[in-house]
Amino acid sequence: MARRRILWILPAMVVLVSLSIYPILFSLKVSFTNQQGDWSLSNYSRIFADHLLHVSIIQTILYVTVALVIELGLGLFFALVIDSMGRGKYFFRAGFLAPMLLPPVVAAVIWRLIYNPEFGVLNNTLKFFGFATKNLTWTSGEGSAMASVILVDIWEWTPFMFLLISAGLQAIPGEPCEAAKMDGASSLRIFKDIILPLLKPTLFLAILLRAMDLLRIFDQIWILTQGGPGLATETVSLYIYRTAFRFFNFGYAASMSLLCLILVTVFAKNLFGMMKMKVA
Amino acid sequence: MTIAVNAGVEGQALKEAAQDWGAKTDTSIKIVELPYANLFEKELLDLKSKTGAYDVIMLDDPWFPQFTTGDQLTSLDKMYKAAGLNGPDGDFIKSTLDVCREPWATGTYYALPYVGNSQLFFYRKDLFDKYSLTAPMTWDSVLLAAKKIGAGEKMYGYVMRAAAGNAVVTDFMPLLWAFGADVFSADQKPVVNSPEAVLALKFMLELGEVTPPGYTGYNADEVSAQLLQSTAAMSINWPAWIGPMDDPTKSKIVGKIAFAQVPSEKKKGQAELGAWLVAIPSGSKNSLKAFEFIRWATDSEQMKTAALRGNPPTRSSVFDDATLLKKFRAFPTQKASLMGSKPRPRTSAWNEIENAFGIYLSKANSKTMAPEAALNEANKEITAILNRNK
Repeated sequence: MARRRILWILPAMVVLVSLSIYPILFSLKVSFTNQQGDWSLSNYSRIFADHLLHVSIIQTILYVTVALVIELGLGLFFALVIDSMGRGKYFFRAGFLAPMLLPPVVAAVIWRLIYNPEFGVLNNTLKFFGFATKNLTWTSGEGSAMASVILVDIWEWTPFMFLLISAGLQAIPGEPCEAAKMDGASSLRIFKDIILPLLKPTLFLAILLRAMDLLRIFDQIWILTQGGPGLATETVSLYIYRTAFRFFNFGYAASMSLLCLILVTVFAKNLFGMMKMKVA
Repeated sequence: MTIAVNAGVEGQALKEAAQDWGAKTDTSIKIVELPYANLFEKELLDLKSKTGAYDVIMLDDPWFPQFTTGDQLTSLDKMYKAAGLNGPDGDFIKSTLDVCREPWATGTYYALPYVGNSQLFFYRKDLFDKYSLTAPMTWDSVLLAAKKIGAGEKMYGYVMRAAAGNAVVTDFMPLLWAFGADVFSADQKPVVNSPEAVLALKFMLELGEVTPPGYTGYNADEVSAQLLQSTAAMSINWPAWIGPMDDPTKSKIVGKIAFAQVPSEKKKGQAELGAWLVAIPSGSKNSLKAFEFIRWATDSEQMKTAALRGNPPTRSSVFDDATLLKKFRAFPTQKASLMGSKPRPRTSAWNEIENAFGIYLSKANSKTMAPEAALNEANKEITAILNRNK
């Protein structure tokens, strides 16, 4: 019987070992070798001294936090508004999802054209309405570049939050809200004391999925700014890519990747823990 | 035979030449066309693991020092000797042959030059005539002309690219050299914070004042778009953009652009070399055929055909060809520029150095760091990179 059980899980084990465990162990081995191929701890000691990495970590955290908070807030807002609509609900729901259907690379190229300070539609529209646009350089300005790339992420991925939250709202039974309404509870009170607690598992799931995706952000930033100007939009993924495939230092890239893997795993585990606790 | 080429205008002529050669010699040809960044990754991975996936590779000249470490490319000296030949003939322009040797200019040949790219200075001849300006010979005269044209026309006097990394470094190098500075001293120590380099960067920031405000995010495409749309009057650019300037479907300035060599300042102006080379990986199983092909593709007759397909040549005789001169008005300037051009520093860590240098140049151009501070930090970073790569 035990042998049969092992046979049943064998295909899954083979897939897991060959596609997840072996690559991680191989990366671990590579991370302990220097550029000459000798065993070394230099990659890990460099992690603590590399200020380019530190800047990219801080910026990744900033990017994830700001984008996540705004996408969650807007997704919740639009889900509540569109869900409460009578007619036109399905039209708006479908229309709202359009940005999410675009491949991130296409979305980034579109926004790169929109942001162009000279020929872009954004500055030209603002100019049409009489605004001074000379200093509005969007992705080219060190102060505005991060906000500009975050805005693209919000535009593209708020619909994802909306979609999940909207599905969560539809799963909430109508009776508690109706009973509260009959007892004279305000809309705000109903949202705070009934909808929000029942929506919490969905919100945690949305945060988890989106945060993990945001932590890997690469394509949009690569097309919009390539990490610049200066280091203004450099994130960990970009830095790891450059280290591995432009500088061909696979050892250091592997050590940074493993560090990221550990950080993301700790984050996801804590969020799962919080989710279980709150749901319980 | 498998040939890896760049998926862009630089790879087009080689792709067509390979097909012609395949038909002529009855050889089955497989072309692997890859975008610039992927081409570098795939080729270097193949070279390091010696898989023999490619028999001929097309490579950008700054990659050459990295590609020649550890016996990764086939020595052409040996192949020439085995064929009873002395080596590449003297018709190739020297600057393009020098980057095919390791060590630079003196060592063994590991490649042959195929695309003779070097920077040119593009300027609006019609506006220079209108404002009675002489052709831009020095950077000071460029700045003066840019101010004059910018004040008199609804356009920017100059446009440059200063996106972090390769873009800003590419536009800064001719300034750095013209101001008498360099990346490394004669004994290979980084000197990007020399007083001459600081002056060059300060001058770049002055040019930034007459350049469209978003230039700190510009790459080659944006610079060329500004010229094509007649919103900027001058720039440094690559030969690949000469054609579009005179193409009425793309350009508002047909016939109005003139081409010059990169301006001088304290020293004679030198363009950055960006030649594309052809080489044979040491893992190739068809190295003899590959050698035959690269010699055929770089002979004068084939290079003339390639020039007609839009390829800037690397042979003097092709630049001087009367038929081609009638068709390509920039050829004399291109030849002079290529002959005086300078390659990027010959180090296998150039990609990493260029990235670090580019970050601080970009910071200075974005005005978040003073020029002196930016170059001091860049120098520190380059020193650290060199120490790590010893």
